[in-house]
Amino acid sequence: MKITKTQNGNSLYLALEGRLDTNTAPELEASIKGSIDGVEELTINMESLDYLSSAGLRVLLGAQKIMNKQGSMRVTHVNDTIMEIFEVTGFADILTIEKA
Amino acid sequence: MITEKHEARGACAGENMNTSIISIRHLCKEFLNVTPLKDVSVEIKKGEVISIIGPSGTGKSTLLRCINLLETPTKGEIVVDGVVTTDKKCKVNLVRQKMGMVFQSFNLFAHKTIIENIMMGQVDLLKRNRQEAYDKGMELLRNIGLADKAFSYPDELSGGQKQRAAIARTVAMEPEIILFDEPTSALDPTMVGEVLSVIRGLAGQGMTMMIVTHEMKFARDVSTRIFYMDQGEIYEDGTPEQIFEHPKRERTRIFIRQLKVLHVEKISRDFDFPAFMTRLEEFGRKQQFSQRQIYAMQLVVEEVLMQKLLPAAGEAEERDLSLDVEYSERENLAQMRFSYNGPSFYPFGEEEDLSGRMIKGMSKAMEHKFVDGMNHFIISI
Ligand SMILES: Nc1ncnc2c1ncn2[C@@H]1O[C@H](COP(=O)(O)OP(=O)(O)OP(=O)(O)O)[C@@H](O)[C@H]1O
Ligand SMILES: [Mg+2]
Repeated sequence: MKITKTQNGNSLYLALEGRLDTNTAPELEASIKGSIDGVEELTINMESLDYLSSAGLRVLLGAQKIMNKQGSMRVTHVNDTIMEIFEVTGFADILTIEKA
Repeated sequence: MITEKHEARGACAGENMNTSIISIRHLCKEFLNVTPLKDVSVEIKKGEVISIIGPSGTGKSTLLRCINLLETPTKGEIVVDGVVTTDKKCKVNLVRQKMGMVFQSFNLFAHKTIIENIMMGQVDLLKRNRQEAYDKGMELLRNIGLADKAFSYPDELSGGQKQRAAIARTVAMEPEIILFDEPTSALDPTMVGEVLSVIRGLAGQGMTMMIVTHEMKFARDVSTRIFYMDQGEIYEDGTPEQIFEHPKRERTRIFIRQLKVLHVEKISRDFDFPAFMTRLEEFGRKQQFSQRQIYAMQLVVEEVLMQKLLPAAGEAEERDLSLDVEYSERENLAQMRFSYNGPSFYPFGEEEDLSGRMIKGMSKAMEHKFVDGMNHFIISI
Protein backbone atom coordinates (compact mmCIF):
# COMPACT_ATOMS: atom_id res chain seq x y z
CA MET A 1 0.00 0.00 0.00
CA LYS A 2 1.11 3.54 -0.68
CA ILE A 3 0.14 6.36 1.66
CA THR A 4 0.48 9.94 0.47
CA LYS A 5 0.31 12.37 3.34
CA THR A 6 -0.37 16.11 3.07
CA GLN A 7 -0.48 18.24 6.19
CA ASN A 8 -1.83 21.75 6.01
CA GLY A 9 -2.14 23.64 9.30
CA ASN A 10 -4.55 21.62 11.35
CA SER A 11 -5.87 19.50 8.51
CA LEU A 12 -4.39 16.18 7.52
CA TYR A 13 -5.04 14.53 4.18
CA LEU A 14 -4.16 10.89 3.48
CA ALA A 15 -4.50 9.28 0.07
CA LEU A 16 -4.43 5.48 0.14
CA GLU A 17 -3.36 3.39 -2.80
CA GLY A 18 -3.47 -0.41 -3.13
CA ARG A 19 -4.50 -2.83 -0.43
CA LEU A 20 -5.35 -2.09 3.19
CA ASP A 21 -5.15 -5.55 4.77
CA THR A 22 -3.62 -7.51 7.65
CA ASN A 23 -0.14 -6.85 6.28
CA THR A 24 -0.44 -3.16 5.54
CA ALA A 25 -2.85 -1.91 8.23
CA PRO A 26 -0.02 -1.39 10.77
CA GLU A 27 1.61 1.07 8.32
CA LEU A 28 -1.51 3.20 8.16
CA GLU A 29 -1.94 3.01 11.91
CA ALA A 30 1.62 4.23 12.48
CA SER A 31 1.20 6.94 9.88
CA ILE A 32 -1.96 8.28 11.54
CA LYS A 33 -0.55 8.05 15.06
CA GLY A 34 2.55 9.97 14.00
CA SER A 35 0.67 12.96 12.60
CA ILE A 36 -2.67 13.21 14.33
CA ASP A 37 -1.69 15.48 17.24
CA GLY A 38 -3.50 18.79 16.89
CA VAL A 39 -5.32 17.73 13.71
CA GLU A 40 -8.90 18.99 13.54
CA GLU A 41 -9.81 17.81 10.07
CA LEU A 42 -8.77 14.38 8.85
CA THR A 43 -9.56 13.34 5.26
CA ILE A 44 -8.84 9.83 3.97
CA ASN A 45 -9.08 9.55 0.20
CA MET A 46 -9.84 5.99 -1.00
CA GLU A 47 -9.93 6.68 -4.71
CA SER A 48 -7.06 4.29 -5.43
CA LEU A 49 -7.78 1.80 -2.68
CA ASP A 50 -8.54 -1.63 -4.16
CA TYR A 51 -9.12 -3.70 -1.08
CA LEU A 52 -10.07 -3.23 2.55
CA SER A 53 -10.37 -5.92 5.22
CA SER A 54 -11.26 -5.94 8.92
CA ALA A 55 -7.68 -5.11 9.87
CA GLY A 56 -8.06 -1.86 7.92
CA LEU A 57 -11.49 -1.17 9.39
CA ARG A 58 -10.04 -1.38 12.89
CA VAL A 59 -7.48 1.30 12.04
CA LEU A 60 -10.21 3.53 10.59
CA LEU A 61 -12.28 3.01 13.73
CA GLY A 62 -9.30 3.97 15.92
CA ALA A 63 -8.81 7.16 13.91
CA GLN A 64 -12.49 7.98 14.13
CA LYS A 65 -12.39 7.65 17.92
CA ILE A 66 -9.48 10.09 18.17
CA MET A 67 -11.13 12.54 15.77
CA ASN A 68 -14.41 12.40 17.70
CA LYS A 69 -12.50 14.15 20.51
CA GLN A 70 -10.52 16.68 18.51
CA GLY A 71 -12.37 17.47 15.29
CA SER A 72 -13.87 15.60 12.34
CA MET A 73 -12.96 12.87 9.91
CA ARG A 74 -14.15 12.16 6.37
CA VAL A 75 -13.57 9.19 4.12
CA THR A 76 -13.84 10.20 0.47
CA HIS A 77 -13.99 8.69 -3.04
CA VAL A 78 -15.27 5.35 -1.78
CA ASN A 79 -15.96 2.88 -4.60
CA ASP A 80 -18.90 0.45 -4.70
CA THR A 81 -17.11 -2.64 -3.41
CA ILE A 82 -15.60 -0.84 -0.45
CA MET A 83 -18.93 0.86 0.19
CA GLU A 84 -20.47 -2.60 0.44
CA ILE A 85 -17.92 -3.47 3.13
CA PHE A 86 -18.82 -0.31 5.06
CA GLU A 87 -22.49 -1.21 4.78
CA VAL A 88 -22.36 -4.85 5.85
CA THR A 89 -20.20 -4.00 8.85
CA GLY A 90 -22.28 -1.05 9.99
CA PHE A 91 -19.35 1.31 9.39
CA ALA A 92 -21.53 3.32 7.03
CA ASP A 93 -23.29 4.60 10.17
CA ILE A 94 -20.12 5.37 12.09
CA LEU A 95 -17.98 7.10 9.47
CA THR A 96 -18.69 10.17 7.38
CA ILE A 97 -18.43 8.76 3.88
CA GLU A 98 -18.43 10.42 0.47
CA LYS A 99 -18.87 8.02 -2.41
CA ALA A 100 -16.76 8.16 -5.56
CA MET B 1 -10.27 -42.92 -31.86
CA ILE B 2 -12.63 -42.39 -29.02
CA THR B 3 -16.13 -42.79 -30.27
CA GLU B 4 -17.76 -44.38 -33.23
CA LYS B 5 -18.89 -40.98 -34.31
CA HIS B 6 -15.31 -39.85 -34.76
CA GLU B 7 -14.42 -42.99 -36.65
CA ALA B 8 -17.21 -42.27 -39.08
CA ARG B 9 -15.98 -38.73 -39.54
CA GLY B 10 -12.40 -39.89 -40.15
CA ALA B 11 -13.47 -42.43 -42.75
CA CYS B 12 -15.57 -39.91 -44.56
CA ALA B 13 -12.70 -37.42 -44.72
CA GLY B 14 -10.43 -40.13 -46.04
CA GLU B 15 -12.73 -40.65 -49.02
CA ASN B 16 -12.92 -37.02 -49.91
CA MET B 17 -9.56 -35.37 -49.47
CA ASN B 18 -10.93 -31.90 -50.11
CA THR B 19 -12.68 -31.68 -46.80
CA SER B 20 -9.48 -32.05 -44.78
CA ILE B 21 -6.77 -29.43 -44.84
CA ILE B 22 -4.54 -31.51 -42.59
CA SER B 23 -4.62 -35.30 -42.38
CA ILE B 24 -2.45 -37.04 -39.84
CA ARG B 25 -2.16 -40.81 -40.06
CA HIS B 26 -0.44 -42.96 -37.47
CA LEU B 27 2.01 -40.25 -36.57
CA CYS B 28 4.74 -41.36 -34.18
CA LYS B 29 7.58 -39.27 -32.83
CA GLU B 30 10.28 -40.86 -30.74
CA PHE B 31 13.09 -39.03 -29.03
CA LEU B 32 16.01 -40.82 -27.41
CA ASN B 33 14.34 -41.23 -24.03
CA VAL B 34 10.67 -40.47 -24.64
CA THR B 35 7.98 -41.08 -27.22
CA PRO B 36 5.66 -38.10 -26.90
CA LEU B 37 3.53 -39.16 -29.88
CA LYS B 38 2.79 -42.87 -30.09
CA ASP B 39 0.04 -43.09 -32.68
CA VAL B 40 -1.84 -39.97 -33.67
CA SER B 41 -4.43 -40.02 -36.44
CA VAL B 42 -6.72 -37.09 -37.02
CA GLU B 43 -8.42 -35.05 -39.73
CA ILE B 44 -8.56 -31.27 -39.58
CA LYS B 45 -10.95 -29.35 -41.77
CA LYS B 46 -10.67 -25.89 -43.23
CA GLY B 47 -11.95 -23.23 -40.85
CA GLU B 48 -11.64 -25.33 -37.72
CA VAL B 49 -10.23 -23.60 -34.68
CA ILE B 50 -8.66 -26.28 -32.52
CA SER B 51 -7.28 -25.70 -29.06
CA ILE B 52 -4.82 -28.26 -27.82
CA ILE B 53 -4.76 -28.71 -24.08
CA GLY B 54 -3.17 -31.19 -21.69
CA PRO B 55 -0.54 -31.64 -19.02
CA SER B 56 3.08 -30.64 -19.56
CA GLY B 57 5.22 -33.00 -21.62
CA THR B 58 2.36 -34.70 -23.44
CA GLY B 59 3.59 -33.79 -26.92
CA LYS B 60 1.47 -30.72 -27.68
CA SER B 61 4.44 -28.74 -29.00
CA THR B 62 5.87 -31.83 -30.68
CA LEU B 63 2.62 -32.32 -32.60
CA LEU B 64 2.69 -28.74 -33.94
CA ARG B 65 6.40 -29.03 -34.72
CA CYS B 66 5.82 -32.23 -36.70
CA ILE B 67 3.02 -30.58 -38.67
CA ASN B 68 5.26 -27.62 -39.42
CA LEU B 69 8.27 -29.86 -40.24
CA LEU B 70 10.34 -28.43 -37.44
CA GLU B 71 10.63 -32.07 -36.32
CA THR B 72 10.85 -35.10 -38.54
CA PRO B 73 8.25 -37.70 -37.59
CA THR B 74 9.59 -41.15 -36.78
CA LYS B 75 6.66 -42.87 -38.48
CA GLY B 76 3.37 -41.99 -40.09
CA GLU B 77 2.06 -39.61 -42.68
CA ILE B 78 1.01 -35.97 -42.65
CA VAL B 79 -0.85 -34.44 -45.58
CA VAL B 80 -1.26 -30.67 -45.69
CA ASP B 81 -3.59 -29.27 -48.31
CA GLY B 82 -2.98 -32.27 -50.55
CA VAL B 83 0.82 -32.30 -50.12
CA VAL B 84 2.35 -35.29 -48.35
CA THR B 85 4.79 -33.41 -46.14
CA THR B 86 6.30 -36.54 -44.64
CA ASP B 87 7.51 -37.47 -48.12
CA LYS B 88 11.29 -36.93 -48.36
CA LYS B 89 10.90 -35.11 -51.68
CA CYS B 90 8.42 -32.63 -50.25
CA LYS B 91 9.50 -29.00 -50.54
CA VAL B 92 9.70 -27.65 -47.03
CA ASN B 93 9.32 -24.03 -48.09
CA LEU B 94 6.13 -24.74 -49.95
CA VAL B 95 4.61 -26.30 -46.85
CA ARG B 96 5.81 -23.49 -44.61
CA GLN B 97 4.11 -20.98 -46.88
CA LYS B 98 0.78 -22.64 -46.31
CA MET B 99 1.36 -22.63 -42.61
CA GLY B 100 2.35 -19.88 -40.20
CA MET B 101 3.59 -20.53 -36.71
CA VAL B 102 3.49 -18.21 -33.71
CA PHE B 103 5.69 -19.05 -30.73
CA GLN B 104 5.68 -18.14 -27.08
CA SER B 105 8.81 -16.06 -27.57
CA PHE B 106 7.69 -13.72 -30.42
CA ASN B 107 10.81 -14.37 -32.57
CA LEU B 108 10.96 -10.89 -34.08
CA PHE B 109 14.29 -9.68 -35.46
CA ALA B 110 15.61 -7.25 -32.88
CA HIS B 111 17.66 -5.14 -35.32
CA LYS B 112 14.74 -4.52 -37.66
CA THR B 113 11.73 -2.26 -37.19
CA ILE B 114 8.28 -3.77 -36.81
CA ILE B 115 7.23 -2.97 -40.37
CA GLU B 116 10.51 -4.40 -41.74
CA ASN B 117 9.89 -7.55 -39.76
CA ILE B 118 6.48 -7.84 -41.39
CA MET B 119 7.78 -7.01 -44.88
CA MET B 120 10.72 -9.43 -44.95
CA GLY B 121 8.94 -12.71 -45.60
CA GLN B 122 6.57 -11.12 -48.06
CA VAL B 123 9.45 -9.77 -50.15
CA ASP B 124 11.78 -12.77 -49.83
CA LEU B 125 9.30 -15.63 -50.09
CA LEU B 126 6.16 -14.26 -51.72
CA LYS B 127 8.21 -12.02 -54.05
CA ARG B 128 6.00 -9.01 -53.38
CA ASN B 129 7.59 -5.66 -54.12
CA ARG B 130 8.46 -3.48 -51.15
CA GLN B 131 5.52 -1.14 -51.66
CA GLU B 132 3.00 -3.98 -51.70
CA ALA B 133 4.61 -5.55 -48.67
CA TYR B 134 4.61 -2.22 -46.87
CA ASP B 135 0.96 -1.52 -47.66
CA LYS B 136 -0.10 -4.97 -46.57
CA GLY B 137 1.93 -4.65 -43.35
CA MET B 138 0.51 -1.24 -42.51
CA GLU B 139 -3.03 -2.44 -43.13
CA LEU B 140 -2.54 -5.32 -40.73
CA LEU B 141 -0.91 -3.12 -38.12
CA ARG B 142 -3.78 -0.65 -38.35
CA ASN B 143 -6.29 -3.46 -37.83
CA ILE B 144 -4.70 -4.37 -34.53
CA GLY B 145 -4.02 -0.82 -33.38
CA LEU B 146 -0.26 -0.91 -33.86
CA ALA B 147 0.22 1.41 -36.83
CA ASP B 148 2.02 3.94 -34.67
CA LYS B 149 4.63 1.32 -33.76
CA ALA B 150 5.53 0.46 -37.37
CA PHE B 151 8.89 2.21 -37.17
CA SER B 152 9.74 1.14 -33.63
CA TYR B 153 12.13 -1.69 -32.85
CA PRO B 154 10.82 -4.78 -31.02
CA ASP B 155 12.60 -3.73 -27.81
CA GLU B 156 10.50 -0.58 -27.69
CA LEU B 157 7.25 -2.58 -27.55
CA SER B 158 5.52 -4.31 -24.66
CA GLY B 159 5.29 -8.10 -24.71
CA GLY B 160 1.67 -7.96 -25.80
CA GLN B 161 2.48 -5.55 -28.63
CA LYS B 162 5.39 -7.73 -29.77
CA GLN B 163 3.18 -10.79 -29.91
CA ARG B 164 0.48 -8.92 -31.83
CA ALA B 165 3.15 -7.76 -34.29
CA ALA B 166 4.42 -11.35 -34.61
CA ILE B 167 0.89 -12.49 -35.44
CA ALA B 168 0.56 -9.71 -38.02
CA ARG B 169 3.82 -10.88 -39.60
CA THR B 170 2.43 -14.40 -39.86
CA VAL B 171 -0.89 -13.21 -41.28
CA ALA B 172 0.90 -11.07 -43.89
CA MET B 173 2.13 -14.31 -45.48
CA GLU B 174 -1.50 -15.26 -46.12
CA PRO B 175 -1.19 -18.77 -44.76
CA GLU B 176 -3.93 -21.36 -44.98
CA ILE B 177 -3.33 -22.43 -41.41
CA ILE B 178 -1.78 -20.81 -38.36
CA LEU B 179 -0.25 -22.86 -35.57
CA PHE B 180 0.16 -21.19 -32.18
CA ASP B 181 2.32 -22.64 -29.43
CA GLU B 182 1.34 -21.00 -26.14
CA PRO B 183 1.17 -17.51 -27.62
CA THR B 184 0.39 -15.86 -24.29
CA SER B 185 2.47 -17.87 -21.85
CA ALA B 186 5.41 -15.46 -21.79
CA LEU B 187 3.22 -12.41 -21.23
CA ASP B 188 2.40 -10.37 -18.19
CA PRO B 189 -1.22 -11.25 -17.26
CA THR B 190 -2.38 -7.73 -18.11
CA MET B 191 -1.34 -8.27 -21.75
CA VAL B 192 -2.89 -11.66 -22.36
CA GLY B 193 -6.26 -10.19 -23.34
CA GLU B 194 -5.01 -8.01 -26.20
CA VAL B 195 -3.25 -10.96 -27.84
CA LEU B 196 -6.19 -13.32 -27.40
CA SER B 197 -8.47 -10.74 -28.95
CA VAL B 198 -6.32 -10.65 -32.10
CA ILE B 199 -6.52 -14.46 -32.33
CA ARG B 200 -10.26 -14.28 -31.70
CA GLY B 201 -10.49 -11.85 -34.60
CA LEU B 202 -8.72 -14.32 -36.91
CA ALA B 203 -11.13 -17.05 -35.83
CA GLY B 204 -13.96 -14.71 -36.79
CA GLN B 205 -12.46 -14.36 -40.26
CA GLY B 206 -12.52 -18.13 -40.71
CA MET B 207 -8.78 -18.78 -40.38
CA THR B 208 -7.90 -22.42 -39.72
CA MET B 209 -5.93 -22.53 -36.49
CA MET B 210 -4.40 -24.94 -34.02
CA ILE B 211 -3.62 -23.33 -30.70
CA VAL B 212 -1.73 -24.88 -27.81
CA THR B 213 -2.92 -22.91 -24.82
CA HIS B 214 -3.41 -22.86 -21.08
CA GLU B 215 -6.09 -20.18 -21.35
CA MET B 216 -9.06 -22.46 -20.86
CA LYS B 217 -11.79 -19.85 -20.97
CA PHE B 218 -10.42 -18.65 -24.29
CA ALA B 219 -10.12 -22.22 -25.61
CA ARG B 220 -13.69 -22.81 -24.71
CA ASP B 221 -15.10 -19.64 -26.23
CA VAL B 222 -13.11 -19.48 -29.45
CA SER B 223 -12.53 -23.09 -30.49
CA THR B 224 -14.75 -25.28 -32.58
CA ARG B 225 -12.89 -28.32 -31.29
CA ILE B 226 -10.59 -29.31 -28.44
CA PHE B 227 -7.82 -31.91 -28.42
CA TYR B 228 -6.92 -33.15 -24.96
CA MET B 229 -3.46 -34.70 -25.28
CA ASP B 230 -2.14 -37.35 -22.92
CA GLN B 231 -0.55 -40.81 -23.05
CA GLY B 232 1.09 -40.21 -26.41
CA GLU B 233 -2.12 -39.60 -28.26
CA ILE B 234 -5.02 -37.24 -28.77
CA TYR B 235 -6.62 -38.81 -25.75
CA GLU B 236 -9.96 -37.10 -26.21
CA ASP B 237 -11.27 -35.04 -29.11
CA GLY B 238 -14.53 -33.15 -28.95
CA THR B 239 -16.39 -29.88 -28.90
CA PRO B 240 -15.55 -27.44 -26.09
CA GLU B 241 -18.84 -28.41 -24.45
CA GLN B 242 -17.98 -32.13 -24.56
CA ILE B 243 -14.45 -31.74 -23.25
CA PHE B 244 -15.06 -29.10 -20.59
CA GLU B 245 -18.49 -30.18 -19.40
CA HIS B 246 -18.79 -33.90 -20.14
CA PRO B 247 -15.32 -35.37 -20.56
CA LYS B 248 -15.67 -39.09 -21.21
CA ARG B 249 -12.29 -40.50 -20.27
CA GLU B 250 -10.67 -40.74 -16.87
CA ARG B 251 -7.57 -38.60 -17.44
CA THR B 252 -9.52 -35.86 -19.19
CA ARG B 253 -11.90 -35.76 -16.24
CA ILE B 254 -9.07 -35.38 -13.76
CA PHE B 255 -7.41 -32.65 -15.81
CA ILE B 256 -10.62 -30.67 -16.30
CA ARG B 257 -11.51 -30.98 -12.63
CA GLN B 258 -8.14 -29.64 -11.55
CA LEU B 259 -8.73 -26.54 -13.66
CA LYS B 260 -11.76 -25.72 -11.62
CA VAL B 261 -10.26 -26.32 -8.20
CA LEU B 262 -7.60 -24.47 -6.28
CA HIS B 263 -6.17 -26.60 -3.49
CA VAL B 264 -3.69 -25.56 -0.80
CA GLU B 265 -2.69 -27.80 2.04
CA LYS B 266 -0.58 -27.61 5.17
CA ILE B 267 -1.35 -23.96 5.71
CA SER B 268 0.69 -22.72 8.66
CA ARG B 269 1.73 -19.47 10.24
CA ASP B 270 4.55 -18.91 7.76
CA PHE B 271 2.03 -19.18 4.91
CA ASP B 272 2.83 -16.56 2.25
CA PHE B 273 -0.30 -14.46 2.48
CA PRO B 274 0.40 -11.80 -0.21
CA ALA B 275 1.45 -14.49 -2.71
CA PHE B 276 -1.71 -16.44 -2.03
CA MET B 277 -3.85 -13.34 -2.60
CA THR B 278 -2.26 -13.04 -6.04
CA ARG B 279 -2.90 -16.73 -6.74
CA LEU B 280 -6.54 -16.36 -5.80
CA GLU B 281 -6.88 -13.39 -8.08
CA GLU B 282 -5.34 -15.30 -10.99
CA PHE B 283 -7.57 -18.29 -10.35
CA GLY B 284 -10.60 -16.01 -10.18
CA ARG B 285 -9.69 -14.29 -13.40
CA LYS B 286 -9.21 -17.59 -15.22
CA GLN B 287 -12.70 -18.61 -14.10
CA GLN B 288 -14.03 -15.22 -15.20
CA PHE B 289 -15.18 -14.26 -11.72
CA SER B 290 -16.45 -10.75 -11.29
CA GLN B 291 -14.21 -8.28 -9.50
CA ARG B 292 -16.58 -8.46 -6.56
CA GLN B 293 -16.35 -12.25 -6.37
CA ILE B 294 -12.56 -12.05 -6.40
CA TYR B 295 -12.69 -9.42 -3.67
CA ALA B 296 -15.04 -11.56 -1.59
CA MET B 297 -12.83 -14.64 -2.00
CA GLN B 298 -9.79 -12.72 -0.84
CA LEU B 299 -11.71 -11.30 2.07
CA VAL B 300 -12.88 -14.75 3.14
CA VAL B 301 -9.32 -16.07 3.07
CA GLU B 302 -7.97 -13.12 4.97
CA GLU B 303 -10.67 -12.99 7.64
CA VAL B 304 -10.95 -16.74 8.18
CA LEU B 305 -7.28 -17.63 7.96
CA MET B 306 -5.42 -14.57 9.19
CA GLN B 307 -7.90 -13.39 11.77
CA LYS B 308 -9.34 -16.68 13.01
CA LEU B 309 -7.84 -20.04 12.12
CA LEU B 310 -4.14 -19.24 12.13
CA PRO B 311 -4.14 -17.30 15.42
CA ALA B 312 -6.21 -20.10 17.00
CA ALA B 313 -3.83 -22.71 15.58
CA GLY B 314 -1.05 -21.17 17.65
CA GLU B 315 -2.39 -22.93 20.71
CA ALA B 316 -3.04 -26.31 19.14
CA GLU B 317 0.10 -28.28 18.40
CA GLU B 318 -0.44 -30.14 15.15
CA ARG B 319 -2.93 -28.33 13.05
CA ASP B 320 -3.71 -29.79 9.69
CA LEU B 321 -5.27 -26.96 7.74
CA SER B 322 -6.18 -26.91 4.07
CA LEU B 323 -8.30 -24.90 1.68
CA ASP B 324 -10.15 -25.81 -1.51
CA VAL B 325 -11.71 -23.27 -3.78
CA GLU B 326 -14.03 -24.65 -6.38
CA TYR B 327 -16.14 -22.97 -9.00
CA SER B 328 -19.51 -24.20 -10.10
CA GLU B 329 -20.46 -22.66 -13.38
CA ARG B 330 -24.05 -23.79 -13.26
CA GLU B 331 -24.76 -21.87 -10.10
CA ASN B 332 -22.09 -19.24 -10.71
CA LEU B 333 -20.86 -19.94 -7.19
CA ALA B 334 -17.37 -20.10 -5.78
CA GLN B 335 -17.22 -22.50 -2.90
CA MET B 336 -14.43 -22.15 -0.36
CA ARG B 337 -13.87 -25.05 1.98
CA PHE B 338 -11.53 -24.78 4.95
CA SER B 339 -10.70 -28.15 6.50
CA TYR B 340 -8.87 -28.41 9.83
CA ASN B 341 -8.52 -31.02 12.52
CA GLY B 342 -10.34 -30.91 15.87
CA PRO B 343 -11.60 -29.92 18.32
CA SER B 344 -14.81 -28.60 16.86
CA PHE B 345 -14.25 -24.92 16.20
CA TYR B 346 -16.60 -22.49 14.49
CA PRO B 347 -14.42 -19.52 13.51
CA PHE B 348 -16.99 -16.82 14.08
CA GLY B 349 -18.06 -17.89 17.57
CA GLU B 350 -21.25 -16.80 19.25
CA GLU B 351 -20.88 -13.03 19.22
CA GLU B 352 -20.71 -11.40 15.82
CA ASP B 353 -17.41 -9.65 15.35
CA LEU B 354 -16.20 -7.55 12.47
CA SER B 355 -14.78 -10.48 10.47
CA GLY B 356 -17.97 -12.46 10.91
CA ARG B 357 -20.18 -9.61 9.81
CA MET B 358 -18.03 -8.98 6.75
CA ILE B 359 -18.04 -12.58 5.62
CA LYS B 360 -21.75 -12.98 6.27
CA GLY B 361 -22.45 -9.82 4.34
CA MET B 362 -20.29 -10.74 1.36
CA SER B 363 -21.23 -14.42 1.00
CA LYS B 364 -24.33 -16.34 -0.07
CA ALA B 365 -24.11 -19.19 2.44
CA MET B 366 -21.99 -20.43 5.32
CA GLU B 367 -21.86 -23.89 6.86
CA HIS B 368 -19.78 -25.56 9.58
CA LYS B 369 -19.57 -29.32 10.00
CA PHE B 370 -17.53 -31.42 12.38
CA VAL B 371 -17.01 -34.98 11.18
CA ASP B 372 -14.53 -37.58 12.46
CA GLY B 373 -12.28 -35.07 14.13
CA MET B 374 -12.22 -32.74 11.12
CA ASN B 375 -13.86 -29.34 10.85
CA HIS B 376 -15.25 -28.28 7.49
CA PHE B 377 -16.11 -24.65 7.18
CA ILE B 378 -17.73 -23.91 3.84
CA ILE B 379 -18.50 -20.50 2.44
CA SER B 380 -20.27 -19.88 -0.88
CA ILE B 381 -19.75 -16.71 -2.81
N1 LIG C 1 14.23 -32.20 -29.17
C1 LIG C 1 13.91 -33.03 -28.17
N2 LIG C 1 14.77 -34.00 -27.77
C2 LIG C 1 14.43 -34.86 -26.79
N3 LIG C 1 13.27 -34.84 -26.13
C3 LIG C 1 12.37 -33.91 -26.48
C4 LIG C 1 12.65 -32.95 -27.50
N4 LIG C 1 11.58 -32.14 -27.63
C5 LIG C 1 10.68 -32.55 -26.70
N5 LIG C 1 11.15 -33.62 -26.03
C6 LIG C 1 10.44 -34.36 -24.98
O1 LIG C 1 9.21 -34.82 -25.50
C7 LIG C 1 8.17 -34.74 -24.55
C8 LIG C 1 7.04 -33.89 -25.09
O2 LIG C 1 7.49 -32.55 -25.20
P1 LIG C 1 6.57 -31.36 -25.70
O3 LIG C 1 7.41 -30.15 -25.70
O4 LIG C 1 5.93 -31.73 -26.99
O5 LIG C 1 5.47 -31.32 -24.57
P2 LIG C 1 4.29 -30.25 -24.36
O6 LIG C 1 3.02 -31.01 -24.29
O7 LIG C 1 4.40 -29.17 -25.38
O8 LIG C 1 4.62 -29.72 -22.91
P3 LIG C 1 4.49 -28.22 -22.30
O9 LIG C 1 3.04 -28.06 -21.89
O10 LIG C 1 5.37 -28.27 -21.10
O11 LIG C 1 4.95 -27.25 -23.34
C9 LIG C 1 8.81 -34.16 -23.29
O12 LIG C 1 9.12 -35.23 -22.44
C10 LIG C 1 10.05 -33.50 -23.81
O13 LIG C 1 11.05 -33.49 -22.80
MG1 LIG D 1 4.90 -27.14 -25.29
